[in-house]
Amino acid sequence: MLRLPFSRGLPCVRVVWSAAVRGTASNPAPEKIEVFVDDKSVLVDPGTTVLQAAAMVGVEIPRFCYHERLSVAGNCRMCLVEVEKSPKPVAACAMPVMKGWRIKTNSEMTRRAREGVMEFLLVNHPLDCPICDQGGECDLQDQSMAFGSDRSRFTDIHHSGKRAVEDKDIGPLVKTIMTRCIHCTRCIRFASEVAGVDDLGTTGRGSDMQVGTYIEKMFLSELSGNIIDLCPVGALTSKPYSFTARPWETRKTESIDVLDAVGSNIIVSTRTGEVLRILPRLNEDINEEWLADKARFAYDGLKRQRLMTPMMRNKDGELVVVDWEDALIATASALSHAQPDEIAGIAGGLVDAEALVALKDLLNRLGSENLVTETIFPMEGSGTDFRTNYLANSTIAGIEEADLVLLVGTNPRFEAPLYNSRIRKSYLHNEQNVALLGPKINLTYDYEHLGDSASDLKKLVDGSHPFSAKLKAAKRPLIVLGSQQLARSDGAAILSHVQQLAKKLSSSAEPDWKILNVLHSNASQVAALDLGYKAGTAEIRQKPLKVVYLLGADEGTISPNDLASGGVVIYQGHHGDVGASMADIVLPGAAYTEKQGTYVNTEGRAQQTLVAVTPPGLAREDWKIIRALSELAGYKLPYDTLFEIRDRLDDIAPHLTRHGEVEEASFLDQSVELSKNIASSFDSSPIDVKQKHLEDFFMTDAISRASPTMAKCVQAVLKQKQSKYYEGEV
Amino acid sequence: MGSRQAAVKAGWKQAKPLISVSDRDCRTRALQLYKAWYRAFPEILRIQDLPVNLKQCREKLREEFHKNKNVTDLRVKDLLIVKGQQELQEFSKFWSQKSHMMMRFKETHNPQPQDFLSKFFSGHK
Amino acid sequence: MALDLFRPLKNLYKIVKQNGGVTGSLYKLFRQDELKWGELVGEDKFGNKYYKNDYYFYGRNRWVEYNDKVWLDYDGSQVCPEWYGWLHYKTDYLPHEDPGRPVYPWMQAHTQNLSGTRQQYIPYTTTKPKIEAWVPPSKK
Repeated sequence: MLRLPFSRGLPCVRVVWSAAVRGTASNPAPEKIEVFVDDKSVLVDPGTTVLQAAAMVGVEIPRFCYHERLSVAGNCRMCLVEVEKSPKPVAACAMPVMKGWRIKTNSEMTRRAREGVMEFLLVNHPLDCPICDQGGECDLQDQSMAFGSDRSRFTDIHHSGKRAVEDKDIGPLVKTIMTRCIHCTRCIRFASEVAGVDDLGTTGRGSDMQVGTYIEKMFLSELSGNIIDLCPVGALTSKPYSFTARPWETRKTESIDVLDAVGSNIIVSTRTGEVLRILPRLNEDINEEWLADKARFAYDGLKRQRLMTPMMRNKDGELVVVDWEDALIATASALSHAQPDEIAGIAGGLVDAEALVALKDLLNRLGSENLVTETIFPMEGSGTDFRTNYLANSTIAGIEEADLVLLVGTNPRFEAPLYNSRIRKSYLHNEQNVALLGPKINLTYDYEHLGDSASDLKKLVDGSHPFSAKLKAAKRPLIVLGSQQLARSDGAAILSHVQQLAKKLSSSAEPDWKILNVLHSNASQVAALDLGYKAGTAEIRQKPLKVVYLLGADEGTISPNDLASGGVVIYQGHHGDVGASMADIVLPGAAYTEKQGTYVNTEGRAQQTLVAVTPPGLAREDWKIIRALSELAGYKLPYDTLFEIRDRLDDIAPHLTRHGEVEEASFLDQSVELSKNIASSFDSSPIDVKQKHLEDFFMTDAISRASPTMAKCVQAVLKQKQSKYYEGEV
Repeated sequence: MGSRQAAVKAGWKQAKPLISVSDRDCRTRALQLYKAWYRAFPEILRIQDLPVNLKQCREKLREEFHKNKNVTDLRVKDLLIVKGQQELQEFSKFWSQKSHMMMRFKETHNPQPQDFLSKFFSGHK
Repeated sequence: MALDLFRPLKNLYKIVKQNGGVTGSLYKLFRQDELKWGELVGEDKFGNKYYKNDYYFYGRNRWVEYNDKVWLDYDGSQVCPEWYGWLHYKTDYLPHEDPGRPVYPWMQAHTQNLSGTRQQYIPYTTTKPKIEAWVPPSKK
């Protein structure tokens, strides 16, 4: 199987790759070789490049085209360094070191080589830094300051002008000013290697070379925003952020993305109380340095459709603005007039653990146990009692060590794009094989399609399926179960069969290798289950409900018709969406950029968001609303500060306050035992996923549904599908 | 914890007051300071354009002294007396200006909300 | 010329006489804190009367007595622009004598300064809010 494009498979490049990729050090360690960087001795593995060797002693060689996570191109020539006894300077990024080499990164020859390269780059680079969005974070700017010549020989006495290239329209997210392009080809390599969309490339040669899409089409990928970060110059910039701010004017807050269950680390740039953009933050265990487009560009949804004041329905049935006092007193009286069993709390997908625990404590004090999440998880067998049942146990980084991945009813490409990019990375570089049980979709890599019948799981468990042999042969197999399948009527059977399969495979797999993974679709599910919420609203809908407290529940899993007459729906959240429209009382909460909240991602890693901007209008942090409500309802919760509520979290589930760490779960055997009694009848309906195409990816929750940029993306994809150049799935 | 407190206490006992030798001595000093202020006010009012009268100033003086009536530590008392003397000098030599004096006459301001509910209702606190 | 010892008294008599006797004078004194005598040179469309008397020093020899209807709520901006120039010594021409006074159809009628009244102009922001609030769907 040819996994990489042919040009990337060239032998010298492969050497570099195998050294750079994790988990390939299983061969006996080869003998180290000694090289000297600026007369400092360093011992390196064979195959290490000059640039990597220099980095080991803390010498950073300037570069444009080289990037740690992409293949080596070696075409910008900025990393030229002198090697003693070599007649010409060598390109440090592509040249493996030889024994005893003396590399001079600061010699006269090196400096002149850099100055020369810089001069050539700048000959055709426009001098539009003052109006360029990259200004201030531009590699070309920085490196021309550090390594360029201190005077110019550029005299355009004939006014022939610099090279000019037509701009390309590659979609609503990435703005192109192709005249600024220095042909580093990072974007091309990212598109073909990481994103798996071979749309970008070069045409022409010499000074006629152009980077583009060959034909007029859009660069449509769920990871397309990353080429903005990769571009060392201002050729690819962010369209929504264009001409907004300079990097030195903004305040950066390190936070967590909550629009999918991966929990990507982000940096929120703000100025004057407004979120201006979101950038990825390096975290090798989760998102590396990439970010999905929804996480990066849905921030303008935080500025629209916001709930800014408490609201209550008047006698005409209209929601009108009221004070906090009125809204909370009305809520408290509704809660205290209902019987305990007539009260229910439903948690949505964007809620932090602090709010979840506060709501649970309040309702428990009122005597109600009706606390559920919107997203369904089968409660039969051991249900959510064991964490191992609902976590991605092998972690996100652990995907790279797996040799076989079986996806069951999930499309990770759109449910968790960075989870998918990990699988693709391992598929490319670690010879990982992938199989899919579910609808035929484009995952950006080849996979073995096992059909879409749920009953095939039974065959996989008893070993009669043709794929079973491969599963059994795998040393580090991995099963990823999409959380959407658990919402099916036979969700419990699917889960129990996947558990049994995992249990069965664990005998042939390496010891301590975790097999079972559940890929969630929202950021709050794991924390809610950790805190003891039940999953799914089916059970509580049977009860005669009087008061329903929707904590950011916007999926419409319950409607006012499910309530007894005179019932009250209370919605607490940050966006006017399904939940707020049907509520009788609306309490405005804070979005994830506006509160310090704990979120647990699908692998069970607790992380916290930090306050980047204050909540708009009268909106308050979510747990504080519930805390204030509890005092008015006469059941005062015993925490006033974030530290105190974190102490409470610590009492219930200590891992929720250990931010950044994965708490492992290992009770697979017990849960398999308990799940054996579950009826194993499968539906005849085929396994399906909600998000099959790129247009399904962008608008999935209250924030992204309110985002104009995301709406534009959907329009762009639909438009692309009308194009005559459109071929197959994107 | 206990031993630390004991050590601090022992230190207190050993440290000798530097100015006043006895409570009686200290009281004399305080009275002297009070009288000095009392007598200085007409002059302060003459050289500074203050929107208060002599009576108000002397009431304020009394109030300021009463603020510290519960101080028992001799060294703290001495410190307060020294500070009072410094301040008197500052005012009588016009080093401190009108605003410094009028700071003492500020009306009471609304206290910041302390309990959770009032903080919640008053804003993002 | 001999000093006219009775001139103050004569002036007082003139003032009292012109201002409508003792009661009239007291009324004017109460209303405008000042009593003067002079020649009525004109009246504007708002009913304000303009006087001139060169007996008084330059700067005090032209004045306006506001319409009785406004009682104590008189204001400098009630002087209409035609009279403004004469009253402030920009010109010595009275409005009807002024040869160069332009009249165009687009000129607006004069209004007094309405600040502090109900008709006052209140500026409002035209910038979009940074964060748009959700408007609940109406049942109608």
